[in-house]
Amino acid sequence: MNLRLKNAISNRKKDLIILLVLLLMPVFLNVIHFEYAFTIVSFIFIYIIAVSGLDIVFGYSGQISLGHAAFFAIGAYGSAILHKYTHIPVILTMIIAAFLAAVIGAGLAYPASKLVFHFLSLATIAFGEIVYQLVAQSPYEITGNFTGFFTDSVSIFGYKLNTYSKFYYFGLFSVLVFLLMKNNLIKSKVGRAFIAIRENSHAADGMGINVRNYKILAFAISAFFTAFAGGMYAHCVKFISPDTFMYKQSVMFLTMLLFGGTASRFGPIFGAVSVLILNEALRATEKYQLLIYGVLLLIVIVVLPGGLYGAYQDVAVKFKKKGVNKC
Amino acid sequence: MIIQILVSGLVLGCVYGLIALGYSLIYKASGMLNFTQGDILTLGAFLGYTFYGVFHIPFILTVIIVFIIMLGFGMVLEKGIISKLVAKGTLPIYTVLATIAVSYIIQNGSMLVWGTQSINFPRIFHVTNIKILGVNIQTEAFVCILVSMICMVSLHIFMKHTRFGTSMRAAAMDPLAARSLGINVSLATGLTWGISAAVAALAGMLIGPLYGVYTTLGATIGRKGFASAVMGGYGNMYGAMLGGAILGLVETFTSAYISSSYKDLVAYILLITFLFIKPTGIFNERAIQD
Repeated sequence: MNLRLKNAISNRKKDLIILLVLLLMPVFLNVIHFEYAFTIVSFIFIYIIAVSGLDIVFGYSGQISLGHAAFFAIGAYGSAILHKYTHIPVILTMIIAAFLAAVIGAGLAYPASKLVFHFLSLATIAFGEIVYQLVAQSPYEITGNFTGFFTDSVSIFGYKLNTYSKFYYFGLFSVLVFLLMKNNLIKSKVGRAFIAIRENSHAADGMGINVRNYKILAFAISAFFTAFAGGMYAHCVKFISPDTFMYKQSVMFLTMLLFGGTASRFGPIFGAVSVLILNEALRATEKYQLLIYGVLLLIVIVVLPGGLYGAYQDVAVKFKKKGVNKC
Repeated sequence: MIIQILVSGLVLGCVYGLIALGYSLIYKASGMLNFTQGDILTLGAFLGYTFYGVFHIPFILTVIIVFIIMLGFGMVLEKGIISKLVAKGTLPIYTVLATIAVSYIIQNGSMLVWGTQSINFPRIFHVTNIKILGVNIQTEAFVCILVSMICMVSLHIFMKHTRFGTSMRAAAMDPLAARSLGINVSLATGLTWGISAAVAALAGMLIGPLYGVYTTLGATIGRKGFASAVMGGYGNMYGAMLGGAILGLVETFTSAYISSSYKDLVAYILLITFLFIKPTGIFNERAIQD
């Protein structure tokens, strides 16, 4: 008991230190005049939320989605269009668009929940492509089609977050809120039901879990996360075009998730950070981007099925064991 | 006019059909989705262009060479990656993702070798048009349909009436029982992937002269090809061809009479509708539901 308490306190301490570092980072970055880092960090925040959303469906509930770019698109375009025509403050439109995506996600999951893995992936691909096509060739050009769509930045009580460095704290706050939400969700009855469905849907059914409803719920919550990230993307970059929401993007989310590690608290963070930094480091070799993603994915699947976080945990466990042996 | 649309619809349909044929064969043999098919089509088209257009090897010989190369490629893919993953007991979805990874590698790799420009596949025949029922049809289009039909029939004969085809079907139906009867299941599965890859490459060489060859040629065809496989009944060879024909015709008629910008949309709407309403497809192929 005492040990547990101690662990909890030391974990708290660790969390506090990390938070402090994150809070002070902009100051540091400003001091060393590395403003470009804000761009990367903003994208990292956005992708952490999007990938966490995918983790709920894929990592915890065991349902594949190869169409999450669609929810990203619904969040981005939904919020941007709503803001343009109704002039509701941006944060509200982001939340409304995320709810809209959740409803659409549930609508997709309702018929899709009876499909097995492979065919679920086909259905989600089709969904993703349909949304992409509708965005790229919208009726009355409401989305601006291939030319793209300019939109406003997030404003809090009239204070516009119109640069990446101003976006930083908003992004950090959103990440913390969404990760807390995800953590609480996983620890709740709902989260346990998700995991039960992932492990064995028939057994879960036998235990009295309504498999279909929970699958629908998983998709809806996941869509909410990813769509909110989409909204953040739209109002952070202030410009969206269909290119961002292609099938490639869905695979990218999945690459990040797998690379970081599924069904864990830190997996999406590890994944988003490592893939985006890698992306920046390899900017010069943009031509080979797909090739690199392909090889990365393959390596993760063949060599590191638990992703980076899984590998990190394995190493940590080994070190702990060694320590115990020495004692 | 309407006959010309019909013909170009059928040409496209045949290509979808050949791709979907590969999907069905692989699904039957290893219960797997294969996302590389489309990019193998691209690779086949590029290889065909290289041998025929650059090295000036006769077209028939080119087809045979590429067919054999891609047969080997498909088998290596299965033996080198897929069967290893299956043996390790990874979740099926990871294997599917591995095929996506391979498709990225092929797509980007072929871009590095052949560049980003669309390449004109040199003409195969000196006669540009042939007249059928008083309508001028591009020779390549006619050949595309003809070869697809021949391919279909010969695959049927191979699967149903040869010793090896029978053992492949047995291996797909029940691997354990097949193995106990002395069938080399591993070879049969590998060969299924090989044949699927070879057929996709063939489709690439057939469509290359009509559409030009570029790196994303196969990616979209491959993704839309799933619609034809599902429509026909996933795992059914004849269903794949029929589904391909339907998809090709619907797509071509949509772009001719409504708007060409909706042709992709229609394909995916067909895919999702069939998955939700009739996942067993036209030929009522069993069991793709949970």
